Amino acid sequence: MQTIPTSADLDLQADNLRRAAIDKSVKGPVLFLFLNGAFWLMASTILGVLAAIKLVSPSFLGDCQYLQFGRLQPTHLNALIYGWGIQAGLGVMLWIMARRSGQELKSGKSLLYVAGVFWNIAVTLGLLGILLGGSTSMQWLEMPRWVWPILLGSFLVFAWPMAVMFGKAFRPEGFMVSTWYILGACFWFPWIFLTANVCLHCIPSLGALGAGINAWYVHGLILLFFTPVAVGSSYYFIPKITGRPIASAELAKLGFWALAVLAGWTGMQTYMGGPLPSWMPSVGALTGTLLLIPVGVVGLNHHLTTLGSHNLVATSPTLRFTFLGSLFYPVTGVLLALLSNYSTGVNLQFTHAGYGFQIVAIYGFFSMCVFGAIYYIVPRLAGCEWLSVRLIRNHFWFSTYGIGSIVVTSIVAGLQQGGDLNNPEMWDQDFMQLALNSRPYMVARAISWALITWSNVWFLIHLMLMVAGLGRRSSAPTLLHSAHDDTPHAAHA
Amino acid sequence: MSNFRTFILGLVASFGLPWLCLIVIPVLKYQALQPVAYDKDADGIEGYYPPAPINGQGQIVYLREGCSQCHTQMIRPTQIALDGWHKGWGQDQEARPAAPVRSNTLYDYLGEHYAPLGIVRAGPDLANYGWRAPERAVIHQKLFAPRSQHDWSNMPAFKNLYIVRKAQGPVSAKALKLTGKSAPETGYEVVPTAEAEALVDYLLSLKKDYPVPGVSAAVAAAPAPAKK
Repeated sequence: MQTIPTSADLDLQADNLRRAAIDKSVKGPVLFLFLNGAFWLMASTILGVLAAIKLVSPSFLGDCQYLQFGRLQPTHLNALIYGWGIQAGLGVMLWIMARRSGQELKSGKSLLYVAGVFWNIAVTLGLLGILLGGSTSMQWLEMPRWVWPILLGSFLVFAWPMAVMFGKAFRPEGFMVSTWYILGACFWFPWIFLTANVCLHCIPSLGALGAGINAWYVHGLILLFFTPVAVGSSYYFIPKITGRPIASAELAKLGFWALAVLAGWTGMQTYMGGPLPSWMPSVGALTGTLLLIPVGVVGLNHHLTTLGSHNLVATSPTLRFTFLGSLFYPVTGVLLALLSNYSTGVNLQFTHAGYGFQIVAIYGFFSMCVFGAIYYIVPRLAGCEWLSVRLIRNHFWFSTYGIGSIVVTSIVAGLQQGGDLNNPEMWDQDFMQLALNSRPYMVARAISWALITWSNVWFLIHLMLMVAGLGRRSSAPTLLHSAHDDTPHAAHA
Repeated sequence: MSNFRTFILGLVASFGLPWLCLIVIPVLKYQALQPVAYDKDADGIEGYYPPAPINGQGQIVYLREGCSQCHTQMIRPTQIALDGWHKGWGQDQEARPAAPVRSNTLYDYLGEHYAPLGIVRAGPDLANYGWRAPERAVIHQKLFAPRSQHDWSNMPAFKNLYIVRKAQGPVSAKALKLTGKSAPETGYEVVPTAEAEALVDYLLSLKKDYPVPGVSAAVAAAPAPAKK
């Protein structure tokens, strides 16, 4: 007996076909970005281990100049930012933007490949440039000065189709906040990146103002690229997996515009008490603290959305990573506020707490959200399911413990170091006590990065198998708890 | 479509304002910054502030090696930190100076392409290193083998800035006097390259606490400019 398909079934089928067509149109570039990003992430975590060891034992690996801390540390961070962060971020942005706006990527796919290849070549040459002695010592812009136009051009090649998709599908009503964030990231990054590079490389002699602009760039990249991509992704996946709409559209809007208005002012408080005109660090300190508002608003909204669906955090890898990443958003915000305001910030200024802030923003917050997105997106593009629950769990727990211990030890190390720097007893002492006191924290940092490296080696292998199409052939997604498998929810169907 | 336009305008306005106020206008105004002449009657000294530029060639080596990953070049005011009271961190090398070292101004970094204010203070601040610096040979020894001076040092050894070569004839006057583990094999000597010399010149030129014109406290506290 044959059942006659109802119109609802037909709609569903048409929807699924449309989704499959969109997925197929962005498949190549997105998988390319994820795979290369995962490779750079692994490279960066290994460099992180080495750099931390170098701070304890400078002669580790011999006195080879290519691997001294002053060159290794920027290489580690630049690989994390440009190799992994922005690259994987672009992949997530492209996929969510295509899906959310219901647009297929019509043309220019080969151009995207070219841009992706150029991006990776530029990052490779840039990192080699740092190691071989071409570092500019400008924080997060250490790569030799000829690299940035290539990076900017490649980014714009990816940003343009996203802006077009957004423009075609923009509608004032309905749930669009995730694409707001993603369009914001497409728009802010080129602006910040171009401004910082033109100021620092093309305008001669900015002296101490250059250092201020550099600090502004670092904060801009965190708050106006990494944050919007991660928040946009969590605004997309949390409702998707829980099957519930975002709790409050008003809160979502408030969180977005508060971030947009405040974030551009932040950064120069890094040099509070320094040579910059004092209003510049002051306004940075003010906005750095006020940013707790958008952070709190987004956190509240996520909390209200997930309320009552916490069992899904246990089963769905996507939700679990996204949930943890979203938890790190308030942690990032609080750390920024602690570093920014004058009462706690002066004690944490020029200490390891600053590194802790950068790493919690990029790895704890941004990367965790991106991992969540990757666990959702890749099976749909590769046409097979993740092979092993164990590998996903391994990735989650080692990453969680690693990043958690980096955050905690960095804050404690910062307090210790700040206390040592401002200790009146040390007024005529050399830096022996300070160097000895920070050693255990650097050992802890090396161990934490080793845990993260371990988790990401397996993530890279898992991802490579998926991209090669060697995943599980099944219609059921890979969930973390088989007990719940008998009640599959709509989102994974 | 008008909503789309409003959205884009909102993005441009919300970011454009800080961009303009915090970056563009200060950058344009900075271009007009010129050294200020000291007033002989009020300041008691002649010439221009800042009096001496840093050594730019050496700064390139400083930036290339990433020294600013661990060393800052910025004295914070005494309201927020004790930098100014740290022994030897300013021109006055007395154990108990009459006044704290002043904090830095934009002028102190005038003419530098990029001022490496620093990221983390894992080593001492170098803003006024030129005043407290030991002899050149001792700085060279520090750069070549930091642990030969302090066994706890976390500073990397910049061996790439030095040449280990076979000693021919009398030992070069420039050769580092090394003992113990860091010494080269007998018959060999360690001499600094031009880059090492430039880096040391740069470190010696770091004197960022010259008196500020019109600030009497600084003048009162500052001894006569010493030759170094």
